[in-house]
Parts: sequence; C-alpha cells; structure tokens
Amino acid sequence: MLAEFRENIYHCLKCGACRIAYPEYTPICPSGERFGFDSYYAIGRMEIARAVLEGRLEPGEKMAHRVFTCTSCGACEEQCRPAVGNRPLKVIEELKADLVEKGFVPANLRNFLKNVHLYGNPYQAPREKGGEWALGSGVKEYRGEEYLLYVGSEGSFDPRGQKIALALAGILQKAGVSFGILGSRENCDGNEVNRIGERGLFEALAEENIRIFKELGVKKVVTLSPHAYNTFKNDYPGLGADFGVVHYTQLIRELIAGGKLVPKKSPAARVTFHDPCFLGRHNQDYQSAREVLGAVPGLELVEMERTRRNSFCCSGGGGNCYADLLGGGGDRNPARIRVREAYGTGARVLATACPACAVMLGDAPAAEGLEGLIEIRDVAEILLEAL
Amino acid sequence: MTAQAADLYKELVDILGEENISSEQADLIPYMKDSYTALMRKAIPFPDFVVMPGSTGEVQGIIRLANKYRIPVYPRSFGVNIAGSAVPYAGGLVLDLKRMNRILEINEDTMTAFIEPGVSWGQLRKEARKKRLDIIPIGGPYDTSPVGNFLLTNITPYSTRYPADRAVTLEAVLPNGEIIRTGSQATRTGAELNPYFRYAYGPDITGLFRGSLGNYGIITRLMIRLRPLAEVEKNVYYAFDSLEPAVEAMKSVERLEITRYSMLSNRHLSLRIAAHPDELRDAARRDAIMAGLPEYQLVVGLGGKSRQVELYEEMVAEEIIPRGGREAGFDDATRAVMDEMTEGASQKVLRMFAPYAGFAAVIGCVPAARAKDLNAAIRETVKKYGLKDALSGQPLEPELIVIPYDRCSTVYVEHEILYDPLDSEGVQLVNNCLRECYARLVMNYGAVHTMPNRSLLRVVLPSYAELLTGIKKMVDPNGIMMPGGPYTLEEQLKAEVQGG
Ligand SMILES: Cc1cc2nc3c(=O)[nH]c(=O)nc-3n(C[C@H](O)[C@H](O)[C@H](O)COP(=O)(O)OP(=O)(O)OC[C@H]3O[C@@H](n4cnc5c(N)ncnc54)[C@H](O)[C@@H]3O)c2cc1C
Ligand code: SF4
Ligand code: SF4
Repeated sequence: MLAEFRENIYHCLKCGACRIAYPEYTPICPSGERFGFDSYYAIGRMEIARAVLEGRLEPGEKMAHRVFTCTSCGACEEQCRPAVGNRPLKVIEELKADLVEKGFVPANLRNFLKNVHLYGNPYQAPREKGGEWALGSGVKEYRGEEYLLYVGSEGSFDPRGQKIALALAGILQKAGVSFGILGSRENCDGNEVNRIGERGLFEALAEENIRIFKELGVKKVVTLSPHAYNTFKNDYPGLGADFGVVHYTQLIRELIAGGKLVPKKSPAARVTFHDPCFLGRHNQDYQSAREVLGAVPGLELVEMERTRRNSFCCSGGGGNCYADLLGGGGDRNPARIRVREAYGTGARVLATACPACAVMLGDAPAAEGLEGLIEIRDVAEILLEAL
Repeated sequence: MTAQAADLYKELVDILGEENISSEQADLIPYMKDSYTALMRKAIPFPDFVVMPGSTGEVQGIIRLANKYRIPVYPRSFGVNIAGSAVPYAGGLVLDLKRMNRILEINEDTMTAFIEPGVSWGQLRKEARKKRLDIIPIGGPYDTSPVGNFLLTNITPYSTRYPADRAVTLEAVLPNGEIIRTGSQATRTGAELNPYFRYAYGPDITGLFRGSLGNYGIITRLMIRLRPLAEVEKNVYYAFDSLEPAVEAMKSVERLEITRYSMLSNRHLSLRIAAHPDELRDAARRDAIMAGLPEYQLVVGLGGKSRQVELYEEMVAEEIIPRGGREAGFDDATRAVMDEMTEGASQKVLRMFAPYAGFAAVIGCVPAARAKDLNAAIRETVKKYGLKDALSGQPLEPELIVIPYDRCSTVYVEHEILYDPLDSEGVQLVNNCLRECYARLVMNYGAVHTMPNRSLLRVVLPSYAELLTGIKKMVDPNGIMMPGGPYTLEEQLKAEVQGG
C-alpha cells in the first residue's frame, strides 16, 4: 500500500541527490537521463506518489510511463540512503504496484506480463522448447545433480542470451561440476514481475518454482542471470524456498580459486566491467566477476567512472529488457551512454555478467558508430575462451 | 488544451522538438513543489507546459513566444532552492534548464569557468580539479547549479581569501527577449577575447542579477571564479561554551585575513551533520553523539604551502585560545564528516534537514556584536510558540549558523527551525513563529535578508522598491517573468510599499 510509505514520501528533501552519483558527480538515473523531465527521476516520482496519495493526480497511461520507465536499478536509493536515509525505490515500486492494481500498465509491459503468465516466459516460446538452446552441448536435464543451473528466459530463448548460457555450460563442464537444467520445466523466476508490482503473478510463479524445485530435490541453484539470483535469494525464502543460490560468477570464482579452472590466455586485452544492478547494488557483490576477469592472464581490467555501487544501469531492469520503454532517444539512450563511457576508458571489450545487460547493450556500439571498436561480452564468454 | 495553448505548443515544438516539451500532469507535478512550499500552504496551479531548452537561442525563442502569448515563465536550474522561488505561482511555462549542462571553458590563467545553468557544482568541481583548481567552498548541495546559487545570493562560508561573489560576467536572455552580456563581455570582442572582468562600463550589471531569482532574465552562461587547490588544505576546529566569545574569536581570526573557510555553528547543527538520519531516530545514539559535541563550534579552513599553513594554525590558535576557545576533540569519524562538509559540494550537507525535510530558515545579517542578541530573540520566540523537536519531543532548539562577511564586518546569522511536515498543527505553529521572528529581526535589529522577499520589501523605502520594480518593468514590459511569487518584483510591490 502506497499509504504505508507516507513518511518516506513526505520526508523527501527535494534535494536531487538521487540524480547524481556521489562522489563521482555523474548522472546516475537511466530513465532521467533518457527523458529529462523531473518526473523520470526519483525526485519527481516521489512527487507523483505524493500527488497520488493526496488525490491530486489521477492514474493514467501517460503517468504509468513515468513510473514504469524506472528500471529498479536502485541507484537513486544508493545515493539517498547514506545522505538522507530515504527509500525512493521502495516508494516507486509501491507506486507501480498501485498502478498495476488500478489497471494502468504500459502496453508493452502488459504484454510482457501476459506472456509470462501464459507461456512462463516473455518470449511467447512454448515451454517444451525450454531446453533447445542446450541441444548438442551435452547439458542434461536435472536429475539430482549437485547444482541446478537456472538459465532464465534470456538464456533459454534470446539468441544473445543462449550464447552466454552455452558459454557458462561449457565452463561448468570443463570444471567437472555436476549440474543439470530444467529444460521444458523451467519457468520465469518472476524477479521483473515482482519489481513491476504484479504481486499476484509473482507469488504464483514463485510457488510453482518452489514446488518444482522441491519435487526434484534441488538443494543448490546456480543462476545465469543476476535477476533470478536476486529473487531466489531475497524473495523466495519468505515464500517457503529452502534451496541455496549463487550467481554463476560466484561459483566460477570458487572453481578458479580451487584450481578446478585454470585460465590461460586472453584474446581480450583491455576490458572494462559493467556491474549488473541485481548483482551489485541489490546484492553487494562487486567482486566475484572482477576476480574471475582478474584471473585471466593478459587481461587488463580498467574501471569506468561509474562503477560498483555507482554503476550506470543499462536500462534493462523492471521488465524494460522486454518492454523497451527506454528505447530510442538518440544519444540520450542509457545503453548508448554506457557504451560511450566504456569506450572512453580505452577498453575494447565491455564485459558484463548478465544476459539482460548483454542484450540491452548489444546494439549500442553500432548506434554510437563504434562497431568493431568495442564489443559487448559476458564474463562467461571471456573466460571460456581463455580456458 | 485551449486553441491558444495548442498554437503555443506547435510553436514550441518548432523550437524544441516534441521530446523537450510536456503538458502531461505527471510531468508538471514535480515542478510545483519544493521543500519550502509545504510551509507556505499555498496551492500552486498546474503550469501549462514544462520545456527543456538546450541553448541560448532556444531560450530566446521561448521567451519571445512567452511575450507573444503573454504567458508567465518560471526558470529553474535544478529547482532545489528550498525557498519556494522556482514554482509556477501563476501557471505558464516552467523552463527546466538541466539540458544546458556544458562547461564551455575552464581557464587556469584567469581561474574561471564558463558554464551553462545545468552544470552542477559537482560536475564543475570534477572538471576543475583536473586542472588543480576547485570551486570556492559552497554551503549547498553538489547537485545544484552555481547559476541558481548565484541567483539566490549564494549563502556560504565566506572567508577573507575569496570574494563573497563568485560571479564574474554573464550572458542572459532578458524577459523582453533581448540578449545581454555583462562586464567585459558587453562588447563583441570582449565576449570573444576577454570575458573575464566584471567591473566594466559603469555600474555592476552582473551584480544586478545576484539575488534576482530570475526576475531580470534567464542566465544562459556564467563566468564563475574558481580557486587554486593549495598544497596543503586543513581545517581546525575549536569548541566554545557560549556564543559571544565564539563570535569574537571568529572576528579576530577573520581579521588576520588568511582564512579559506569560516563557519560557526551550535551543537544542534553539528549533530545533524555528524549523525546519519537513522542515528538521529535512535534516541540513545543521538544523545551519545550530542554529548561529544561542543556547545558552539568554530571551523576555520586554512590552505597554502605547508610552512604557511603551520604558521597560520599557530596564529589562529593565538587568537582563539585567549578568547575562551579550545581545540574540539572529535573522533576521527566525526572529523572526517565535518571535513567533508566544509569542502563544499558534499553529500553530508544534505543531512542538515533530515530526517524530516521540514525546515524554516530565519536569516538576518547584522554586525558581529549583534549576533548574540539576535540568537536570544529567535530562541525566545521559538520558546513562546512552544515548538517541539520532532525527534525528541523536547522543546525545540533552532540550529544556528554564523558566517562572516567581509572580514566579519557583518555576520550572516541563520537559524533553522526543523519540523515534521506530516504534523500539520506543528507546521502552522512554525509558520506563525517564523513571521514573528522576522518581524523582530527587522524591526528590533535592523537585520537584513539577502533575497527580495516581498513581505520584507514592504518595509524598504519607496524609492528602493521603485528602482527594483522599475528595472523589472523596463526589461519585462509584459510582466512574464515569475509573476505572483513571493519574490516577484512587480508593480504591485511598488504599490504595497508606497501604501506602507
Ligand atoms: C540540504 C540543503 C542545504 C542547502 N544549503 C545551502 C547553503 O548553505 N547555501 C545556499 O546558498 N544554499 C543552500 N541550499 C539551497 C539551494 O539548494 C542552493 O542555493 C542551490 O544552489 C540552488 O540551485 P538550484 O540549481 O537548485 O537553483 P534553482 O532552485 O533552480 O533556482 C534558484 C532561483 O533562481 C531561478 N533560476 C534558476 N536558474 C536560473 C537561470 N538560469 N536564469 C534565471 N533564473 C534562474 C529560479 O527561478 C529560482 O528562483 C541548500 C539546499 C538544501 C536542500
Ligand atoms: S528521493 Fe532522496 S535523494 Fe531524491 S530528492 Fe528525495 S530525499 Fe533527496
Ligand atoms: S531505480 Fe534507477 S531508474 Fe528508478 S528512479 Fe532510481 S535511479 Fe532512476
């Protein structure tokens, strides 16, 4: 209930700290940078929330655009909490839930939700095609192995995501990890559904997933996507889940440390790493992926100005990887902004550890005129090549 | 949308493109409030449009349209002014200048930066530091504009090292649509070759814009002074048990003419800086932090070569110790927070009004010897109204800041009354208390406020009001700039002053 966040809303200082990363002093909100009006930054969304509470603003499609273009990246909260102690993202997500309840969701996101509901994935892909990405790779369906590899929708159905899933599977095989996938039984994890505020659907998805995991006796899950990692780790336990979960970078880091994987050479010389929001800010893991990259001989890791807790979102969160509400916008497009920043470091590879980030950032080099000059790669792809 | 608004919209689109104009209520709502409007309890109407120009030419185009359609204009850089000065009191156009965010030049030779209004203090600091320059420390947040700050008069810990006013020359679009450049920019070649000198061709036109809050036009470019980063920069903190000797000590230190920063505060202000808002909510933690803070704290910022700073430190101690000051013994963490705050453009300053965001400032400039009486008057008034500290429920003690102007010939005295905006009875009390505080300050102490607040301007000489409003009338014949606000310089004000 939005009303439960009254204090947060009324205690917003209107200071604007949620717009700029401190102490880097660089813009931090992807939707704000994309659209410019205050309504697309946390500072303005707090005011929209206040107006809704006070009955001064009727919900509608246009207003929903201002709210759902928030990617739940958490950058605003990362600035606001240490400074002022407020929770703008909590308020925005409550506002989203309020709009969902009242039936005002942008059409693209409505489709996303409908597809997840009907197909268990946003790609309208029949469930039985769930494991097709792995055909011929030797990856098996889960039958009580040590780990369940939860691939997620991008890894299963998006051509870019599938490549990353294959790379990860290849690494796990080389390390001799005992793992299996759900294939046709894999269902959307619901992280985005939850962040959008469709709580009924989220709970249904989570309960179904928990039931399947329990039925199969899953005790440990490794996820390809930080989004799935986030919800399994933070939301599922409250709904009765009893499995452990790691993001793949965390498992690989352990495998390297234990000598199970020995990277040799890297074709990627200078690399910069884009912290995925749901690995970094939402779960404070800034280190695992860097350690994996750091273990690759010859790879020079350089940092962008906006890094770790102040990483600049690719704009794929909050369902926007599918709905693309932040698409277009010329050089104000967040993915393009991010690729420009990466290129500015002198890196020729922009690495990430999230298939949604890889998808979102994928077209940006060409749009920036940097095709062939900078490449978007997943940590898994870089590592596999070095094994 | 009326037919006239539709025509205006079409013409605005020609200038700005659709993506930089909006009349959506959800886009307008955030521009209708700042953290001060809660106190004013005035309903702000929806503006017709919010527009985001990207250049001086676009600003000029918008202003010409505003004149053609006789529609009010309310400019804002970041809108964080905490004075209710950028909200659209009479609807019209909100001009959001965030897109104009280019730093056009940082000049090491003249120690200046040429900036647009959407450049933030933080952005400027970052670029300046690359050239071993820095912003002159500021009081306000880093995510606001030096241009907006200048238009608000820039309240900041002045010190003898740097002039009170950082502005050098500027470019503005006047409300009548003409462009003006001030100081040495006023000639074509000056603008091109030497935009670095303020005092040119008679009266100080740059200064006319200081504290004008948008009344006289839209500043599109500002040449602003920077400072060289010193080899050593250091703050020294002194504790005092009472206010009078602390002010005396500040005065004597300022008269050494060596400071880079100088600010005196009471423990209620220091507490807000030292503690995170979550700690403030925890009574035991709050009391423990408070217990470690001196009643009054004087911070003096020094800078220079290491030998110089060593000597300065001694000289400062020689002035302060005999006046009853002692070194403030903070723990390292508290000192780090205080240091960060004094640097300017720091996140810590945002804590000043947290956790409730409700605050009312009582500001008065007086000779240093009057600071104590002013403080007593405000405390007495606050007590009379029975204001309560929203955190502890105890009688409220206002936060106090004293800042020296011009070697402490005058001090800027600010009392902050914090309240919870959700407590509507409390808000009403604060409002009444504020009015009485100002009446006492002006009538009993001749205290001066730095902004053109209309209620305060009612007590100025008619000739003064006439000059302010006359200039406005001249540059803004159609009265499009910021009508209806508490800081608007319009004919109505002249009538109010003349009517007594
Ligand atoms: C916690 C906190 C502490 C603060 N402490 C201080 C402090 O110590 N000292 C201090 O000085 N301030 C302080 N402030 C106030 C304020 O944030 C700053 O003064 C800030 O610099 C205002 O900048 P802005 O860009 O937000 O200005 P805005 O709010 O955008 O504008 C200020 C005024 O100028 C007008 N304006 C803005 N840009 C233009 C333009 N280009 N042309 C014409 N008119 C324009 C607006 O209409 C408005 O009237 C504080 C604020 C907060 C939230
Ligand atoms: S959300 Fe937080 S950072 Fe943003 S304006 Fe409000 S208080 Fe400031
Ligand atoms: S979560 Fe990210 S996109 Fe949403 S308001 Fe905060 S900074 Fe902007």
